Amino acid sequence: MEAEFLKIIHDHQKIIFKICRIYRDSKEDQEDLFQEIVYQLWKSFPSFKGESKISSWVYRISLNTAIAIYRKAKIEINYFEEFPKKFHPSTENEDTENADRLFEVLRKLNDGDKALISLYLEDFSYQEMAEIIGISESNVGVKLNRIKSKLKIILN
Amino acid sequence: MEMEDLKSNWQNATIVEKSESELQKMTRIKNHPTLKRIRTKLIIETISFLLFLVVYYDWFDGYKKPFYANAFLVVSLLFFIANDVVGYFSIEKRIEGSNLKTSLEKYLSKIRLLSTLSLMCTFLYSISILVFFTSVIHFTREKSFIFAGISIIFIQLMFWSQRIWTRWIKKLEQQVSDFKPDEI
Repeated sequence: MEAEFLKIIHDHQKIIFKICRIYRDSKEDQEDLFQEIVYQLWKSFPSFKGESKISSWVYRISLNTAIAIYRKAKIEINYFEEFPKKFHPSTENEDTENADRLFEVLRKLNDGDKALISLYLEDFSYQEMAEIIGISESNVGVKLNRIKSKLKIILN
Repeated sequence: MEMEDLKSNWQNATIVEKSESELQKMTRIKNHPTLKRIRTKLIIETISFLLFLVVYYDWFDGYKKPFYANAFLVVSLLFFIANDVVGYFSIEKRIEGSNLKTSLEKYLSKIRLLSTLSLMCTFLYSISILVFFTSVIHFTREKSFIFAGISIIFIQLMFWSQRIWTRWIKKLEQQVSDFKPDEI
């Protein structure tokens, strides 16, 4: 079972990495969260029956862990004055820079919005998003429109 | 910047890939960033309390104290240890529920219950210590001041502990409300 689990996590670690980047600011906190998520996935693995896609399961557990974990309050730094930094259409050299900016922008959203937008950006259907979050499909649509408007304000 | 560009940046984000052996280490509590610390604290606290229970009767003249003071101290200490153990296992398993919203709601209920139990156990333990050490003394003005001072310290500790719990609960409540249906 462990070998199967490790293969799954190895293949889906990009999801965990991205969740860590939007829910934590510093590299150290991101690394700690990564470990916590892998641990929670391991604990939940025996009850994973394969009824949903593996990526849905990894997302659900990762988001749940990132949101529920207790963090000491930190002094918030307002990055808004640094925005807008314009995104450029991706070229090979600018991929990393654009990704950094993307995560920086997404970190400005509240925890619930981060969860929904990450699923949207991953190209999950409304039905899948509704199942992972636990809200109706119509509400997914309403929330996503609101989040997109927020993102436009931040970006422009 | 269009949503499609955001999607493309999201999906193409590069990562520092971890090997399977690195991932395997992360499944062990001994490598866990916070649980290892909590577990060590729990073990030290439990061993210290158990040792105290073994020696207090001789060292602190338990035989000279009334039965109720001894019984109250032992019971409250056992409750304290049990609460620590239950708390650890509850925090260790964060995911319960088939979706994010249900899981967070369940976790919030669990944290609310743990917060109440923790406060009650700390309160009982503090009172039992005070009762044990004051059960056979005759209060003078000086002793009353010391008693009041110790009581204030205990209250302060409970206040700090409760403040941490409250902060955590408020954060979870906010997160649960983030998933409530929006007005259309």
